[in-house]
Amino acid sequence: MNERVKKYLDELFEDAPKTRKAMELKEEMMQNSMEKYQDLLSDGYSEEDAYKNVIGSIGDVTELFEDLEEKNLLNLSEADRKKKAILTSVAVGLYILAGVVLLGGLIVEDMAVGPRNIEWSLIGLLLAGVVCIAPTCMLVYAANMYPDYRKKKEDFVEEYKEAKHSSNRDKAVRSSISTIIWTVVVILYFIFSFSSGAWHISWVIFLMGACVEAVCSLIYSLRQKN
Amino acid sequence: MSITSDILRGHTEAIILSHLLEQDSYGYQINKDIMKKTENRYELKEATLYSAFKRLEQAGYIRTYWGDETVGARRRYYAVTENGRKAYQSYKREWEEAKTIIDQLLK
Repeated sequence: MNERVKKYLDELFEDAPKTRKAMELKEEMMQNSMEKYQDLLSDGYSEEDAYKNVIGSIGDVTELFEDLEEKNLLNLSEADRKKKAILTSVAVGLYILAGVVLLGGLIVEDMAVGPRNIEWSLIGLLLAGVVCIAPTCMLVYAANMYPDYRKKKEDFVEEYKEAKHSSNRDKAVRSSISTIIWTVVVILYFIFSFSSGAWHISWVIFLMGACVEAVCSLIYSLRQKN
Repeated sequence: MSITSDILRGHTEAIILSHLLEQDSYGYQINKDIMKKTENRYELKEATLYSAFKRLEQAGYIRTYWGDETVGARRRYYAVTENGRKAYQSYKREWEEAKTIIDQLLK
């Protein structure tokens, strides 16, 4: 049993999917490599030469790994990509609709059209909440059904660095957008409340703020992907 | 040499089938036979070998089973199925035909 060959295969299979098929392939390759190694030694090869020969004959196994995923999620088909894009854009549209409904309720109450005794703003708020359910479900579905495409063939280290770099930048941009939105929201809340005196309802501005933030982060991540 | 290996690689599956028709075998044994028959001029990379096994298995041309070695690690054996036998025969006919044509054209 040669430890170096074993170690080499262990490292080779580190990035392989952890499936039964992958384990079997590893066992098969391990067995064949060992047998070859032993044969080379009895043919008079030195340990070093035998090791090099065995490793050299393994070749590029990345292609093998790709098919070992029990379910291949790496390549979104064109149809799936379209479906995902449609889902997200419809969801954004619905969020905007929810905002409009909310505003509509507030405006109706503010302008005092329609029966006085009805809490239009409350109805608007409830409707907006209901409208928000569908797009949220859609986004969760889109995110879970089709995990993001991952490049497998590229060098893993480079990819990791790149991902780390871009996620740091990503975080910075996101947190500054969010800070801006909430500062504006707080300012608006006080301006609106002091000028109108409608403290009982002006808190919905915070809900609108949350909605705006969600839409912004969505738009941002959609742009990132393209 | 690169043209030769390209052409050979294109026939990996047929080469494997041909070996398995003689007897059930496992990865290293097949490769050893190939080297012996070609007087060490040709050896399959393991990656090539295993991806060919996988394609053949998916096509239903071979089936696989684990050997019951009492000493050392167990081996994974491959055997030709009836479909594989038929596929090999029609492949062989096509190859003979292609060979004749190429021989006629390259003089």
